[in-house]
Amino acid sequence: MGRKWLRNIVKGVSLTSALFVFQACYGTPQDLGFDFWIEGQVKSKTTGLPIRGIKVSVADGVQYEYTDENGRFGFFTEKVEGVKLQFQDVDSTENRWYQHRDTLLSVAKEQVFLNIELEEKK
Amino acid sequence: MMEALRRYAFRKFKASEQKIHELNYLFWECTTRCNLNCIHCGSDCSRDSSHKDMPVADFLAAVDTIGSRPPGLMVVFTGGEPLLRPDIELCGRELRKRGVKWSIVTNGHLYDARRHVSLLNAGMGALTISLDGLEASHNWMRNDSRSFQKAISAIELAASSSRLNFDVVTCVHQKNISELPRLMTLLVMKQVKAWRLFTIIPIGRAVRHPELSLTGSQFVELMEFIKQQRTSGPIDLKFSCEGYVGSYEPHVRDSRFFCRAGINIGSVLIDGSISACPNIDRSFAQGNIYTDNFYEVWQSRFQPFRSREWTQKGQCADCPAYKDCEGNGFHNWHGDKNNVLVCHLSKINQGAVR
Repeated sequence: MGRKWLRNIVKGVSLTSALFVFQACYGTPQDLGFDFWIEGQVKSKTTGLPIRGIKVSVADGVQYEYTDENGRFGFFTEKVEGVKLQFQDVDSTENRWYQHRDTLLSVAKEQVFLNIELEEKK
Repeated sequence: MMEALRRYAFRKFKASEQKIHELNYLFWECTTRCNLNCIHCGSDCSRDSSHKDMPVADFLAAVDTIGSRPPGLMVVFTGGEPLLRPDIELCGRELRKRGVKWSIVTNGHLYDARRHVSLLNAGMGALTISLDGLEASHNWMRNDSRSFQKAISAIELAASSSRLNFDVVTCVHQKNISELPRLMTLLVMKQVKAWRLFTIIPIGRAVRHPELSLTGSQFVELMEFIKQQRTSGPIDLKFSCEGYVGSYEPHVRDSRFFCRAGINIGSVLIDGSISACPNIDRSFAQGNIYTDNFYEVWQSRFQPFRSREWTQKGQCADCPAYKDCEGNGFHNWHGDKNNVLVCHLSKINQGAVR
């Protein structure tokens, strides 16, 4: 225990953080980045029922996921100030047709749960 | 004087880390199947491995034995080629639920845009892609005419993500050492921020290709290249922690040589064996997740890793650098273990004489 205290003190004051941020010779660098978990459920504002196949994507990024049969989605994404999520109906021929919606998140937590309602297109 | 003090302080630091023995980095050899047949492969993987892939649940059960998880504990998926498994993301999400970060080492063949998104969604935070030279030499080494283009596509995808801590690794050998400056230019053009070079240890299929081992003078050339680029180059270049390199120690990496195998690095191998880095001789296994509690093994065994005096034999017996080197990288002790397979320091000495 004493040694761990000492280690933490050295870690705190050391200007050579490389001592502790190592990588195995045939391994990867360490993950020093920050991300957070976004999950939620997408429902119809009209019927209250979950909507399958809605594309949930991070604006200005490459990440996306489609809602499952329960309208659920969930993924990790980079923790940056003001993450904009886009909800798009991309399979309008398969079920009803819903309007797109954007949601801006100010990220302060490790995980976020969203309840999203989409309006039907007339 | 200052250098001697620094070396002394670093020895003390290593001794302390050996005693604390905190598990920070855990390899999972999740498959030994591979979609390539590289001539230098240290693990001798094949398209049709005799080992079945370990079920995710079995690996997670081993992880769950780790009581109070050290902060920053990370799992590295390795193989074989991890992306041959469709359930890497499933395992990754489960690890993140447990507060454990994860990453993969890949040859890039299956790393396309869809998989990139899928891995990021599952919380992958670091990645290493292998690129072993310019197109002809990379494809020669990888035994595949499309390998270079696929690796480059994967590198472009990885470099486009600000979330990933990503690097490229290159095995340096006699046929590609002259390409390093051009390869660096290519990587910089592809927005790669970090590049790691290592040499080939004669294990696995590499034993059959002596031309893959650098000569002493080539090894010195490699050290000089890294040293120079670290001073003024356009990329974060480093030599891997594979071995002790004497007077080059302060110049070729962020930290001095410290083989953390079995000290901070553990592994669960394809058959459930509990060991350190996967390229270490399998006879060093300390237990098996199918018969032992993984974390009890980590805490109570691993003596050959934590106490390296037994390596003071063969050419290490009377070596004046032993206190700093401690038998070089642990993966250099194979077979009868009577001598170190490669001594980087003697290569440097040979190269400097010429």
